[in-house]
Amino acid sequence: MNDTKRERLAGIQQAVLAGDMDGIQDLVTAALAAGLEPDTILSEALTPAMAIVGDDYEKGERFVPEMLISAETMKMALEILHPLLKEDGIAPVGVVVIGTVEGDLHDIGKDLVAMMLEGAGFRVENLGVDVSPAAFVEAVRTHRPNFVAMSALLTTTMVNMQAIIEALCEAGLRDDIRVIVGGAPLSQEFADRIGADGFAADAASAARLAKTLIGA
Amino acid sequence: MNALQRWIIEFGHPPVAPLIGYPGARLTETTLRQNLSDAETQTQSILAAHKRWPADIILPMMDLSVEVGALGLSVRFPDNESPTVEEHPIRQASDLDRFRNTDILTDPRLQSFLRTLSNLSDLPDAALCAYVVGPFTLAGLLMGASEIAMATIRNRDLVHQVVAFAARVVEVYAVECIAAGADGVIILEPTATLLSPAALEEFSGRHVAGLAEQLEGISILHVCGQTTALLDAMCNTGVDGLSLDAPVNFPGIIDHVPSSVIMIGNVDPVRVMGTDDTGEVQAEVERLRAGMAGHRNFILSTGCDLPLETPPENIDTFLITARQVNHPADDDGNQHCEETT
Repeated sequence: MNDTKRERLAGIQQAVLAGDMDGIQDLVTAALAAGLEPDTILSEALTPAMAIVGDDYEKGERFVPEMLISAETMKMALEILHPLLKEDGIAPVGVVVIGTVEGDLHDIGKDLVAMMLEGAGFRVENLGVDVSPAAFVEAVRTHRPNFVAMSALLTTTMVNMQAIIEALCEAGLRDDIRVIVGGAPLSQEFADRIGADGFAADAASAARLAKTLIGA
Repeated sequence: MNALQRWIIEFGHPPVAPLIGYPGARLTETTLRQNLSDAETQTQSILAAHKRWPADIILPMMDLSVEVGALGLSVRFPDNESPTVEEHPIRQASDLDRFRNTDILTDPRLQSFLRTLSNLSDLPDAALCAYVVGPFTLAGLLMGASEIAMATIRNRDLVHQVVAFAARVVEVYAVECIAAGADGVIILEPTATLLSPAALEEFSGRHVAGLAEQLEGISILHVCGQTTALLDAMCNTGVDGLSLDAPVNFPGIIDHVPSSVIMIGNVDPVRVMGTDDTGEVQAEVERLRAGMAGHRNFILSTGCDLPLETPPENIDTFLITARQVNHPADDDGNQHCEETT
């Protein structure tokens, strides 16, 4: 790779870090026109950028607004790259079905996790909020994910996670997937109690956890 | 000396104030929906809770949707879950126009909360505090949490306008809460936990400060989650007390908090209070009490509102353990905590 290509990757990475939503798509388009492969842009610019964003958040050097804007910037880059990656037959690191559990309309944490997972190279099927056990089961049947990721912000709705795991068991799908959970009132202890495979305290650790569980 | 400090001294022993609201509904075998929409039902539940768990600060049930519902937004209202706001219609400043002439004080549910306060205002030997939503959190409900978070960077003018509108709404309600008999208000500002310290000061803190200054009574700021990095910004609001959640290490930060700010917290409302082991509750209360020994600006509480399903015996244990403290006046008339056992 020549210096110009490296500079283009560095520029894309910097645009994500700075949350340059207005400029990112031009940078990605220019990089592709200059001969950079879509998977190179993903793995050598976007993924490292989101890893830095996650690290900075965990160190208290970056906050949710900045993180959201970086993630939205990355998503705008992926709008261009995803179709090209599919054309090239580039498989994602893994597939994740994610949603906020039934009765809960909070989406900010769940969406941050989804974006961090996308940044880490996963294909994410985001079911939105207020997702029933039946909808999770249907999505697992349809998308055949490696993971189901569930979020809940309320103590009154976190208990609904167990019903989703039970529904996956009853449908005979539980053994094929890993279940990870997160949300402000949750803990590792709670995850263990309901039979989840992992608990992530924040979006950055969720992406790390998913990669660890999948061995990526 | 602030209003909360004065109350503590007049009170005569270290207050114990777990955030008990929803568990009262279990004692009266009523649904949250009934309690959050009917003053008499909520009054009976709070009285039942206070009879079994006589905390030193009496609180209504926590409900972040009261003000936004009074503005006319759609609120989902399950039988036994927290109400949730279903729409976030503000995208530009002109979207606020539809709300500007709304008189929130005519809203039946907001009125039921005011009547609940009035019903509870004569209870002796305890302070009565109301909950009001924080200005930034109300603005977040109007705009959506993700949208307002990003707008604090990309559209600051809009956020300033929405928060200023929200602050006026909150002030109207808070003043009525005091008029209804509350000794003070707890300002619920959970959405501020998304912000950097500087952004908290800019978009929340100055409005919370204005509210605290305006109110005749105790002012307490409650922010959920891990808020250690926001501590200075929260202290700068000038509120009498900070009610903070379980992730904050109270013994670790208390020396950095001005003695004029009362720290309220922070036994984990889910991991500890939701356990099936009262021994763990006792151990956690004792651990926190020991860690905060000698600090006068501390009220033992839970990190957040207790969930409906909290085992009642855990709240029994919390209060029994917490009461094993006395609070003699020292030579200058101030108070300090000492172990009695």
